[in-house]
Amino acid sequence: MLVARASSRTVQRVARNFATVVDSAGVKVAAVDTNQPTTSVTFLVKAGSRFESKPGVAHGLKNFAFKGTAKRSALGTVRESEIYGGVLSASLSREHLALTAEFLRGDEKYFVDVLTSFVTSAKFARHEYNEYVAPVMQTEVEESKFNPGFQAIEAAHAVAFHNGLGSSLLSSPHNSITHEDILSFARSTFTRDNIAVLGTGIDQATLSTLVEQSLSKMSATSQISSPASSYFGGETRLQAHGGPQTVFTGFGSAGVPSPEVAALAAFLSTTPAVKWSQGTSPIAAALPTGTAVEVVYLPYSDASLFGLLVQGPTGSAVKEAGNAAVQALKTATNGLKGDDLKKALAKAKFAAASAVDSRAGLVSVLGSKVLSGHESSIDSTLASFDKVTESGFAKATSTLLKNKPVFVAVGDVATLPYVDDLGL
Amino acid sequence: MPLGSTLAPKVLASKTLTSWITPVAHWYANLAGYRKYGLKYDDLIIEEYEDVQRALNRLTPREQYDRAFRMKRASHASVLHNVLPKEQWTKPEEDVRFLTPHVQEVEKEDKERAMWDTVYVSRK
Repeated sequence: MLVARASSRTVQRVARNFATVVDSAGVKVAAVDTNQPTTSVTFLVKAGSRFESKPGVAHGLKNFAFKGTAKRSALGTVRESEIYGGVLSASLSREHLALTAEFLRGDEKYFVDVLTSFVTSAKFARHEYNEYVAPVMQTEVEESKFNPGFQAIEAAHAVAFHNGLGSSLLSSPHNSITHEDILSFARSTFTRDNIAVLGTGIDQATLSTLVEQSLSKMSATSQISSPASSYFGGETRLQAHGGPQTVFTGFGSAGVPSPEVAALAAFLSTTPAVKWSQGTSPIAAALPTGTAVEVVYLPYSDASLFGLLVQGPTGSAVKEAGNAAVQALKTATNGLKGDDLKKALAKAKFAAASAVDSRAGLVSVLGSKVLSGHESSIDSTLASFDKVTESGFAKATSTLLKNKPVFVAVGDVATLPYVDDLGL
Repeated sequence: MPLGSTLAPKVLASKTLTSWITPVAHWYANLAGYRKYGLKYDDLIIEEYEDVQRALNRLTPREQYDRAFRMKRASHASVLHNVLPKEQWTKPEEDVRFLTPHVQEVEKEDKERAMWDTVYVSRK
């Protein structure tokens, strides 16, 4: 009990330490310093695939990160960062592009300059696109073909949301993207209102000053926007070979993600609390050997996708595992009794709180809040779990299951089950 | 060094020198004869260098196609031991440097790479 209380107190302290969002030169800056030996600065840009003007440009923009700018060439950026001992990375999600620099304390001046010069003066040269960017994009697309889990989730998004959130994180293998498309996308997204700066291990005032100096010249056109998401649902089957047989089945909903669905995902999650044990998930016990079920819960700003990713060696094994998982899902949505609900809420709360511990998690959890101008803490998220009641849980989850399901089969489509085989 | 040394920037910097030398330059370019074979000056850059090969890859597909066409037409004229008909000669205003800027950029990149490979670092 004491341990539990101590840990929850630490979580709250971290959350409060996270400085309030300060508008400096029109850019939202938030920083937290917990005296870690290294610093990280992330520029979170509203340039995810849902905002892209042409399919695949967000993927192109991600791979253009840290290439030539007016201040230094791509080679110069790499070599100079190596001399300082820093790591530069870019990652793309459906809503945001995160440009991150991690470095030793004291080098913030240089690394913030690397980030700001990319955002303000990247060249997007044609030869850089042809020589460095396009081959990497091609490789990432090729690589994804051997990851049926990723393919299933991508297809599920397309089926569930059609446009917007449905657009793929990767460009298509035969795209017609040019450096000019990427340049015009960058011009429309790299504006002051679309960027949030998040720092860890750095003083808020220091970061604000550095950002203010360099981004004050930037144009401040209005925020980029995409049409509000709506949920459709449907079925698709993709032929693939080499990987495990994969089925994704789930439900999405438009609107702000609800804590009830997060609790449902935590309750069903097959990841055990103790390594090498089976855990208490209602799904885990019923699975045939060799198959795995992963509970996927992906909340976005105005929609969420919940589902079960079933993988196994053969189509029939996947069908058996899928049936067991769907059965457990249906039982859970009829309502969870006292202790079960408490367990689900505790797991969901822990998942939400511990996500803030890692840098990547911090950026993804708090970044979107910072961008939309909300308070930058997870206190409200944690508090929302306390309000979940038994009846509220049963109502929210059974409404979710009334939607038309998303069903994706990847692999040997002749033997993989259809949506009605799983009893949905 | 595929491009070799040039005094052109110094000449162009001075107005007087430019006005003196421009007519001579035009006379020389016409005398060189490549225009009579429909070529541009940059088609004469020796391409058996890694730098020039990289620069050639940076041309747009249209420029690459046109360059290959000019080469073929010129070699055909050479086989026939005759220059092209006059309407196919390169006009002075068409004779632009389409490759030189790319070669210069590649050379700049090589220089920068050499600089970073041999840089001496000291902590301030």
